[in-house]
Amino acid sequence: MPESPLRDRYRQESQRIQRDFEAVGSGLASLSSRTRLVDFLCLTLWEQLFSSGTGCALVALGGYGRSELFPFSDIDLLFLTEAEAGSDRMKSAVAGLCQTLWDCGLRVSPTTRTLADCGRLDQTNLEFTLSLLDCRFLAGDIALFERLHAKALPHLIARESDGLLQQLSGITQTRRQRFGNTIFHLEPNLKDGPGGLRDCQVTQWIGMVVALASGRKPDLVSVRQNGSHPEMLAALEFLSSSRCYLHYRHGRDDNTIDWDAQEAMAIRGIATGSGPLSPADWMRLYFRHAKTVHRNSSQLLGQISGKRSSLYRSFQHWRSRVSNSEFSVVDGRVYFQQAADAREASVVLRLLTFLARHGFALSPEAERRIQDAHLRLAETMPQDQYLWPHLREILTQPHAADALRAMHSLNLLTRALPELETIDLLVLRDLYHRYTVDEHTFLAIDVLHRLKAEEGSSLRPFAELMSELEQPELLFLALLLHDTGKGLEGADHVHGSAQLATAAVGRLQLSESDAATVCFLVASHLEISSTLRRRDIYDPATIRELAAKLATPERLKMLTLMTLADIKAVNPEALTPWKAENLWRLYTRTAGYFDHSADAGYLDADVSTAAIEKVIAMLPAHRSELLQFLDGLPQRYVLSHAPEEVAEHFLMAGHLDTEAGVPRPPGFGGLGCEAVQLGLRAVSDQQELTIVTTDRAGLFCTLAGTLYAWGMNITKAAAFSNRAGVVVDVFCFKDRFRTLELNPPERERFKRSVREILVGEAQLEPLLESRLKADHKPIKLTVETHLHFDEECSPRSTLLEVVTQDRPGLLHTVSSALTSENCSIEVALIDTEGPVAHDVFYITCEGKKLSAATMRAIEWALTTELAEALPSTW
Amino acid sequence: MTKLETVIQPAKFDAVKDALIEIGVEGMTVTEVRGHGRQKGHTEFYRGREYTVDLLPKVKIEMVLPDQTVDRAIQAITNAARTGKIGDGKIFLTRIDEAIRIRNDDRGENAL
Repeated sequence: MPESPLRDRYRQESQRIQRDFEAVGSGLASLSSRTRLVDFLCLTLWEQLFSSGTGCALVALGGYGRSELFPFSDIDLLFLTEAEAGSDRMKSAVAGLCQTLWDCGLRVSPTTRTLADCGRLDQTNLEFTLSLLDCRFLAGDIALFERLHAKALPHLIARESDGLLQQLSGITQTRRQRFGNTIFHLEPNLKDGPGGLRDCQVTQWIGMVVALASGRKPDLVSVRQNGSHPEMLAALEFLSSSRCYLHYRHGRDDNTIDWDAQEAMAIRGIATGSGPLSPADWMRLYFRHAKTVHRNSSQLLGQISGKRSSLYRSFQHWRSRVSNSEFSVVDGRVYFQQAADAREASVVLRLLTFLARHGFALSPEAERRIQDAHLRLAETMPQDQYLWPHLREILTQPHAADALRAMHSLNLLTRALPELETIDLLVLRDLYHRYTVDEHTFLAIDVLHRLKAEEGSSLRPFAELMSELEQPELLFLALLLHDTGKGLEGADHVHGSAQLATAAVGRLQLSESDAATVCFLVASHLEISSTLRRRDIYDPATIRELAAKLATPERLKMLTLMTLADIKAVNPEALTPWKAENLWRLYTRTAGYFDHSADAGYLDADVSTAAIEKVIAMLPAHRSELLQFLDGLPQRYVLSHAPEEVAEHFLMAGHLDTEAGVPRPPGFGGLGCEAVQLGLRAVSDQQELTIVTTDRAGLFCTLAGTLYAWGMNITKAAAFSNRAGVVVDVFCFKDRFRTLELNPPERERFKRSVREILVGEAQLEPLLESRLKADHKPIKLTVETHLHFDEECSPRSTLLEVVTQDRPGLLHTVSSALTSENCSIEVALIDTEGPVAHDVFYITCEGKKLSAATMRAIEWALTTELAEALPSTW
Repeated sequence: MTKLETVIQPAKFDAVKDALIEIGVEGMTVTEVRGHGRQKGHTEFYRGREYTVDLLPKVKIEMVLPDQTVDRAIQAITNAARTGKIGDGKIFLTRIDEAIRIRNDDRGENAL
């Protein structure tokens, strides 16, 4: 047939195939048709240019060999000969065939090899050996081809399988690293990107190599269809159809799904099988298939065993010592000890906690077992209060993000928290957001866990802030839910997220205060970002308004960290050092405002607030008594205590005296035991002592001294008093010698001791002397002491801020110095972060602010005391 | 052609950007910067420690405009960024000899 008619025929048939594709949309059918068309061209040209008996075979390789010829893919041809001389004789025929194919508009990649060449592994050209795995006879000496296909190739693979698999694993990892090891790109490359067609081919190649290495003839049909995995077949069809469309659209071998292509493919319903979709939904479908391919290929790559150094083996063996009765760890992968455990939701949740704690990955076998049990797990996975302890544990472990990703890929996370269905693979189509919304959520959680590794960077202050949180699990839960509203209709995702968060915390049955915290964080998660963007952070009004919205220092810490994580997880460049520093400045200014405004406003018996009404709702019959109790307490008091705690304090105050809660006048000799009400409970790894009593000189100092005498190290404290002179002091402390923990009867003895000392029935000094003798070893001072007086921040008190090294007895030392100068502590806010003690006191002297002389005296006393490693006043 | 460079308060950036777009300015380069004017920053306290904040966060916007647009741009920036307080920022103008569009070699005002 003359060349020009051949070219014309090729063009007409290509156009027909394109029309068929546009009509039907089947990528695999189109690939098959194109393959047959190019086969026709090659066979026609072979018959024209090559005489029979040349001792040469024409072989299709690569995608062409697989019969998967995309519209603008290269045509990989092998001219196989017996010997070098054969290839010399065929040169002009080879050139003629290739030239004609080029003239038809095809890009040909020809190679000529002898049979012996094909039977050797070229370390510098692994791709050629891999392409041989897909070889397909086209024309010429079939016997020669069979010797390649049935002997040379299987022998090569059997001999070099270990090295081949290792190299295949290596080049796959290198390729994936070019794409950041994530499938979640806004404009993904569906051929070379993770989860793309190349990963499909990798699974095929691994299967063929393993089969050939074990002497089996690979079932080429099933291998090319990736086994009997229906999800993989569907993914292959989707990706093939999408790539066909991209080739026709771009008119070249361009496999990037850019934004315009996403819109076009969504409108046309390319590869959906169900008609048009929105671009976001079309991309969701893409990511779903990419996840399947990525998971499948990653599992196979993970199974590739190879030679490892003895050091690596030793390390892996060390890591496997974390194996327990339920899970074993081998080569960094986790297996069920008992296969049936995969069907138990509680065991699977413990498995996820294990992953979150240690950072291992699930073994392919464990994944398969969980997938096989998905129906049962879907029915038995808890969603209520039984879920929260497990979820809390997972969220607070260092590798929480990886565990959540594993949970999500196994469809367990949306089962446990249906609220997350809205953001499953959800794409935000803008240049700012790099990731899907679910991936962004996991990244945000990971940002906070990795803060500890930010030593020396501009984020180090935030790492310290993270370690100060009282309930980090609430912050992590809020992060998990904060963007769920983006999957709902409506422009305001914050409102939607807040509604979903309310539903979630209700179902998990968090305590009222914990639920309120999580919902507050979700509802306010853009507050700080908005302030940074729209307000002058050096304007006192800005700080005042922000503090009013956040209400407590703890919420300020949580929301600051949430803002940091949210920004940093948008894209790798989003959190610039400039933004990080501004965020930190806003935090420090607002934190300082909280410390310097603790007595800015007082509760009034005649005025109720929303916070007070929550307490009244618990004790409706005691409304007026409750308002009397709260009268004169700083507003900070109700903001920093949960309604349950305020109610409890009120009841304690009510038992101060048998006569309707009216305290005895201070100084009245022989105060009865009912003059002091105590509450002691364990909180996390510390103890919390609550004292409700009448105010008197030196009360705070006496309490601090008593705790020190018992060997307790105070970490936090807050002291408030109301207009009637009733004091509510709460001390959190570490039981240094585990006295209370190891000896339960000591708890009552401790409380009795505190009560007796406060009412004057026992002396504190002998206890302090004993403690001093026991603590004779001076500590090394590494934290510089800073004292700061502020006369402006409070209308009635002088503020003293003490920052110094924490040490046993510190609070007693400081409060003793204040008592010595006849000062009254109106409000005390005590905090300890690591080695640093940060104490804020609102002080008066004879009911007024401190004079300059008094401030100087206090400064002198404290500077002297705190410069010593041990108190010198004793 | 004139290059207009302005340093403003970060909180005013959205308003200034919108004002410039409204008068037809579409190309601009934005940089996050720190700086101070005559006031030289201030001291603050955090956890009892005093520290000096001498470089305050600012935003710098640069654009090259046809000469006939410069006055309107100055007016738009001033109206949007002014609060009347110290720290509002400044605008600088420099003459530009040539502008070239890399994509198609357009020159002069056609490249803007």
